[in-house]
Amino acid sequence: MFDWLLWFTHMENSKPLALVLFFGAFCGVLIYVFTGKQRAKRLESYKYIPLDDEEPRPEPHDFARDDPRARIATQSRKVMDNER
Amino acid sequence: MRHEQVETNSALMLLLILAVISVGGLVEIVPLFSINETIEKVEGVRPNTPLEIRGRDIYIREGCYLCHSQMIRPFRDEWLRYGHYSLAAESQYDHPFQWGSKRTGPDLARVGGKYSNQWHVQHMKAPRSVVPQSIMPNYPWLLTNDLDYSDVADRMRALRATGVPYSVTQQEYDANVKKFGPAIADQFDIGKAEDSLLKEARDKNFDGVPGQITEMDALVAYLQSLGAMVDFTKYDEGYFATFR
Amino acid sequence: MAQSSALPAEQYNFDIVRRFMIVAMVYGVLGMAVGLYIACELAWPFLNFDIPAITFGRLRPVHTSLVIFGFGGSALFATSYYIVQRTCQARLAFPWLAEFTFWGWTGGVALGVITYMAGFSQGKEYAEFEWPLDIAITVVWVCYILVYVETVRRRSQPHIYVANWFFMAFLLAVALLHIFNNISVPSGLLKSYSIYPGVQDAMIQWWYGHNAVGFFLTAAFLGMMYYFVPKQAGRPVYSYRLSIIHFWALIFLYMWAGGHHLHWTALPDWVSTLSATFSILLLMPSWGGMINGIMTLSGAWDKLRSDPIMLFLITSLSFYGMSTFEGPLMSLKSVNALSHYTDWTIGHVHSGALGWVALVSFGSFYHLMPRLYETRMYSQTLIYVHFWLATIGIVLYITSMWIAGIGQGLMLRGFDDYGNLAYTFIETVEFMHTPYIWRALGGAFFVAGALVMVYNMVMTVRAARIERVALEAKLAAKLAKA
Repeated sequence: MFDWLLWFTHMENSKPLALVLFFGAFCGVLIYVFTGKQRAKRLESYKYIPLDDEEPRPEPHDFARDDPRARIATQSRKVMDNER
Repeated sequence: MRHEQVETNSALMLLLILAVISVGGLVEIVPLFSINETIEKVEGVRPNTPLEIRGRDIYIREGCYLCHSQMIRPFRDEWLRYGHYSLAAESQYDHPFQWGSKRTGPDLARVGGKYSNQWHVQHMKAPRSVVPQSIMPNYPWLLTNDLDYSDVADRMRALRATGVPYSVTQQEYDANVKKFGPAIADQFDIGKAEDSLLKEARDKNFDGVPGQITEMDALVAYLQSLGAMVDFTKYDEGYFATFR
Repeated sequence: MAQSSALPAEQYNFDIVRRFMIVAMVYGVLGMAVGLYIACELAWPFLNFDIPAITFGRLRPVHTSLVIFGFGGSALFATSYYIVQRTCQARLAFPWLAEFTFWGWTGGVALGVITYMAGFSQGKEYAEFEWPLDIAITVVWVCYILVYVETVRRRSQPHIYVANWFFMAFLLAVALLHIFNNISVPSGLLKSYSIYPGVQDAMIQWWYGHNAVGFFLTAAFLGMMYYFVPKQAGRPVYSYRLSIIHFWALIFLYMWAGGHHLHWTALPDWVSTLSATFSILLLMPSWGGMINGIMTLSGAWDKLRSDPIMLFLITSLSFYGMSTFEGPLMSLKSVNALSHYTDWTIGHVHSGALGWVALVSFGSFYHLMPRLYETRMYSQTLIYVHFWLATIGIVLYITSMWIAGIGQGLMLRGFDDYGNLAYTFIETVEFMHTPYIWRALGGAFFVAGALVMVYNMVMTVRAARIERVALEAKLAAKLAKA
């Protein structure tokens, strides 16, 4: 009854089968992911998640040692932080 | 199925990940335990004696495997330098395997019998006194530390639990006599472990220090046992190829 | 800035992130310093000083464990706890359990390192911890999974961001690998024997070893990359669809590739051939990740000129791309015949570990620091100094290892006109002396860079504290006047 299972134990059968399965799955995923304008738009919309959650960003050139004059600007920000 | 379903359901995602990462290991590892062709059928390979077990433990303790491999590959230069390529059967009793991954020093798979005990002792004590360009650390303490063999029976019991045929019962002992001969079967008897260790160390006096059993005794005993168990003249080269 | 009700420092648990980051830096500097020392031992063996605890064989696992588990692991704890909170907009679940993971992990690594120096080792590379520590680590890891997954479950976002997929794969895979590779029978409190014999033990060990690289040092750090690169650049990742494909492909393919560490050994050929095949396929998802990261900057390349943190992140991705190209190359049986057992492997590991893992962590730390302490970095110049020290160090390291490895490989297979071996083994050791010195120099550069970073971080915290005190005094004065 389970003799058909033996077919899978032969390398010459299982190798092409595995290849077809894996490669098929891969192509399926590729087609799913990269076709359909709507789907593309939908999927790409999720990449903004980390940027959704904004924070008080340090100024790009704000370094304590390199630019002592930046101190004033930071301090005014600090006051606001401390007033919370 | 939309990928969103996976992305919004942590349980489903974890399940899928688990399925995807399990395939490779299952396909490559599980058959190794069942396929008969994995390990050659050869005569002569035996587990370590109690003294060699302690030597191997010291080999692991000092991290020798980080600079020395025990796996000769089937290439002409390795054949000339080290000898016949290593067989799977030759490490069938190794827990853990010590094939290594780096040769900062030479391969040791067949170092057994290649040098004298005295050479090994001197080389371990001060490698540069025998090989001036060597970068191996000195291991002088091996020669002064007394070998701790108090728990050698425990160690053999643990190894027995992993499948190494050390004997507890008469039946297991008889099986060992049949397989390895009476002299070796005696050494594999866990009940007599300590005596066998002392006897081997005293009889062969690997470290050259009379009356003292040092860690050097054990380590040299282990090194001298490496790779000399299989008599390759008994086998046709084509035979091993069927197992690769 | 005005939405004072939901400031990140209050909304999220940053304390645990700060502590893991500090521990990562401490273990990082220690581990790299030990690495430098053992590199010097190989060049000048007298440095072993006949002291058992500091001989090469015992210090080498100290180095690997400190940098992989101490530095890399703590960096992952820090960033994953940060990222999961920020991308799920949820506070870390089970704070006491998170606290336990901190003490468990830091303590576990410290104990492991001490036991190695005392001579307790399982004798399996990168898994040298003896069985009681293995069990402790398993417990800590399960707690880590609980904290992480529960935080994801409590998210206020319907979607799980891609960085978290990578962390989830890493959590599951590392649990699986660690447990199965370390099954052993104890014979005493600090001694055990692996349950698997010879060949099977070798295969399981390298299934573990390779995927420790694949999931611990790659997938998880990709998770780090997927958050910090877009954040630092201020723009979303290049392609979300590419990340879907390369995520599933990467975690599927990696698990097959372990056998390439055992080419030409007594492992059956079918396994090593299969592993080599999958190793070559692995190039594609690896480069998918690299392209996705680097192309995030597409259209904003000028940031590389003005932002040293971006420089760290993008350079790390370049090294990632380079070493994931070198890896498949070395997994080819013909190349492996030459490269295996030589320093080429060591160089390859370090181009990944220093170039990718360490640089991406440094970049992330520089990004995190001002946010965690609500201040700004002390010095930009010092970040540049660190960057150049690190990069020069890596280049010196991997070039000298190419020379040592390929040189030794070629010498060992050299024959003279009569078919005899052209060189003895010890002649190759002699040859490697000079590259070993250059390697140690490269390592010294890298350690120096890490020290510069630590200085910069310490000064940042100090400056933040001074500023806060000054500010509070000012406020008090104002209040007194009013």
